[in-house]
Amino acid sequence: MTELPALEQVLREIVAEGGADAPRRICEACVAALSLDRAALALMTAADQQEPLWASDEVARKLDDLQFSLGEGPCVEAFVDRRPVLVADLIEHAHSRWPVFAAAALRTPVRALFVLPVQAGAITVGVLDLYRDTPGMLDPDELAGALRAADAAMWTLLGLRDGGTGYAGVDGVSRADGNRRQPVSELHRLEVYQATGMIVEQMQVSPEVALSALRAHAFAQGQTILQVAHEVVVRRLRFDEEKL
Amino acid sequence: MSAEQGIRERALAEAFVTLADTLVADYDVIDVLHQLTIECVELLPVDAAGLLLSDQRGTLQMAAASTERARVVELFQLQSDEGPCLDCFRTSRPIAAPDLRGMTEWPRFIAHTLDTGFRSVHAVPMRLRTETIGALNLFGIQPRALGPDELRIAQALADVATIGILQERAIRRRDVLAEQLQVALNSRVIIEQAKGVLAERGQLEMERAFEVLRRYARSTQQRLSDVALGVANRTIAADVILGPLHGGPSA
Repeated sequence: MTELPALEQVLREIVAEGGADAPRRICEACVAALSLDRAALALMTAADQQEPLWASDEVARKLDDLQFSLGEGPCVEAFVDRRPVLVADLIEHAHSRWPVFAAAALRTPVRALFVLPVQAGAITVGVLDLYRDTPGMLDPDELAGALRAADAAMWTLLGLRDGGTGYAGVDGVSRADGNRRQPVSELHRLEVYQATGMIVEQMQVSPEVALSALRAHAFAQGQTILQVAHEVVVRRLRFDEEKL
Repeated sequence: MSAEQGIRERALAEAFVTLADTLVADYDVIDVLHQLTIECVELLPVDAAGLLLSDQRGTLQMAAASTERARVVELFQLQSDEGPCLDCFRTSRPIAAPDLRGMTEWPRFIAHTLDTGFRSVHAVPMRLRTETIGALNLFGIQPRALGPDELRIAQALADVATIGILQERAIRRRDVLAEQLQVALNSRVIIEQAKGVLAERGQLEMERAFEVLRRYARSTQQRLSDVALGVANRTIAADVILGPLHGGPSA
């Protein structure tokens, strides 16, 4: 049963509140609202470097661990190719795509899996893994919900790979004014990305740090990220001399 | 066949050959979509074209536009959540607005679009079987209704765009459409990030930054989104893309 508006509301609250338990809450929200049985969220810096943040149960944890130790599987593929990996029936892939992983996965109850990269353009911070014990594709509403959950994960994980002390770790979000919601959809506004690129050059940092800086500035100034991005794009605001 | 028809048919054949040429192994979907908007302007009596894609989260995103003006109109339409292209996507039917002046639908869209300098808009859906994945939009400076043949050409170009999205890589399985759409939209985001880097480094307008990026990708025979990724991640120096004329801020 899909309850998309309810899921979106929950995700908005999680992004606004932030905090260390955001990964758990995102996974639980997905399992509650979508036709899924398990979920997990992992930070990734490279195909062979990951840090599991949360898994809803032992099966999800095991499937994540397995892929990372094998170096093959949908999580690795989603991260490397920057694309969702949607597998409606794991049995179809048992012999072709990830033979070792699929054989092991088929010894668990999982029959379908949907892995979404947690990304924004050139920034890829991790993967959201959604598992179901019966085969079948997510319907369009469920896919929309899953993609929004990955967007929410992007906002909550942004900056975490720098140890959370850099520009805006999850603590930065939780300390922000609770009344100011960060709409998840803002992740997709073009000016936010253009501004991110400009800050990459101004500060000589990665796009991930640049987007974190943009967001931290918005929080600090009580503006939306769109407003700040616009100021950057029209060259009224620069980040090279900012202390954040 | 009239001389005019003969010329049109030859141009049409050439355009499809060009597009077919781009649909070879490992092409870049955003580059193909951009090329397609340019072909629309060459083949049809329109002045600009834009292409919107479903982001599968319930909204549309800008994927390509032949000019900055078309891009602005598309973005305004998305922000104001009204207009012929959105109606085309929602109803999955072509929409014709041969003269915006005097029309009462979409008041905000029409006011903004007339201000931008366009008088006519046509939109054709991008469809795959039962799913509508986006819309191709054609803008004219003069009032004009496209005829049945022209609309067929527009639909054929929209269909090429759909195929382009589907077959960016070999289709390995079902569900590939959902994955490809996300790849296409994420590529768009990477390109915007790279445009930002180049605009800042070379002190360029965004549109110019895109041209520089695209020209570099073409001249070095690389995928546009690969080059964009390198620029955004700073694994390709912005100065290499900008060339000798733009050495960046003088040291």
